[in-house]
Amino acid sequence: MTLSTINIINRDHQIAKLSAIAVALSLIEFFLPSPIPGVKPGIANIIILYTIFKFDLRMGIWVSLIRVFVTSILLGTFLSPTFFLSLSGALFSLFSLIIFRNLNSKYFSIISFSLITSLAHIAGQFIIVRLWIIPHNGIFYLLPIFIISAFIFGLVNALVTSKLLQLNSKK
Amino acid sequence: MIKKILQFFKVIKSGDWLIIILFCGLIIFSTKFLWNLPQGEYLEIYKRNEILATYSLNQKITKIINGAKGETKINIDNGKVRFSSAPCAKKYCIHQGWINKANQTIICIPNQISISIVGAKRKYDSINY
Repeated sequence: MTLSTINIINRDHQIAKLSAIAVALSLIEFFLPSPIPGVKPGIANIIILYTIFKFDLRMGIWVSLIRVFVTSILLGTFLSPTFFLSLSGALFSLFSLIIFRNLNSKYFSIISFSLITSLAHIAGQFIIVRLWIIPHNGIFYLLPIFIISAFIFGLVNALVTSKLLQLNSKK
Repeated sequence: MIKKILQFFKVIKSGDWLIIILFCGLIIFSTKFLWNLPQGEYLEIYKRNEILATYSLNQKITKIINGAKGETKINIDNGKVRFSSAPCAKKYCIHQGWINKANQTIICIPNQISISIVGAKRKYDSINY
């Protein structure tokens, strides 16, 4: 009989740690009151952006998906509409990152990536909402609010992440 | 202080400015395109699901409608309209204030009265109790 062993490498530890921080940030965000229902800053994405820029895209994908699943299980929203909304947002964001990963880093910094992914996040959520949760064209009336919030929080998250990366590279 | 702010902006590269400008364009485009509701022309008053009456918005009158619980007063004031008194407990219909755009609706569920503004182009929507 052969024992199957899982080789845990340093990379796995990194993913676990970063996911834990991302989950913690999502939970903090869940308990923060929001002035407009549905608009959230998405502070966990700071960690995901950080992971992608500090390590690589594959690790970012891991952290992002682990974050979505673990947060939903902790909050008890697993397989509920909330979960599918956050999953589709995450998948669209990651997909947009895969498409745009070859942007020249000489001209495009973390800010571009953050803005593109935040827009993709909104797009993913809106597609799910329109097709499944509220199948009515009236929801497009709310789209500008979400685009504006995506812009603001995408920018803020990117600036925080770039500051984090700067602080970390100095050490 | 100013130096610090300038340093902060150095993080943003030229391509980022392009993305930011594109994003702002998208914001302006989406607000203009999606929030451009046409002005209303007519007011429809519903009791349950039936249209009780249709009035032009270009007048200044107060209408009294008998609903399930009592009298509801509806003010029409040259292009805009509101509930000015209602027999319901929470008064959500009154707190909605004036409406003036096409397809805007105020519903008073306890009294089973709802009003809806119709533009020159009619768009059907459903209202159900």
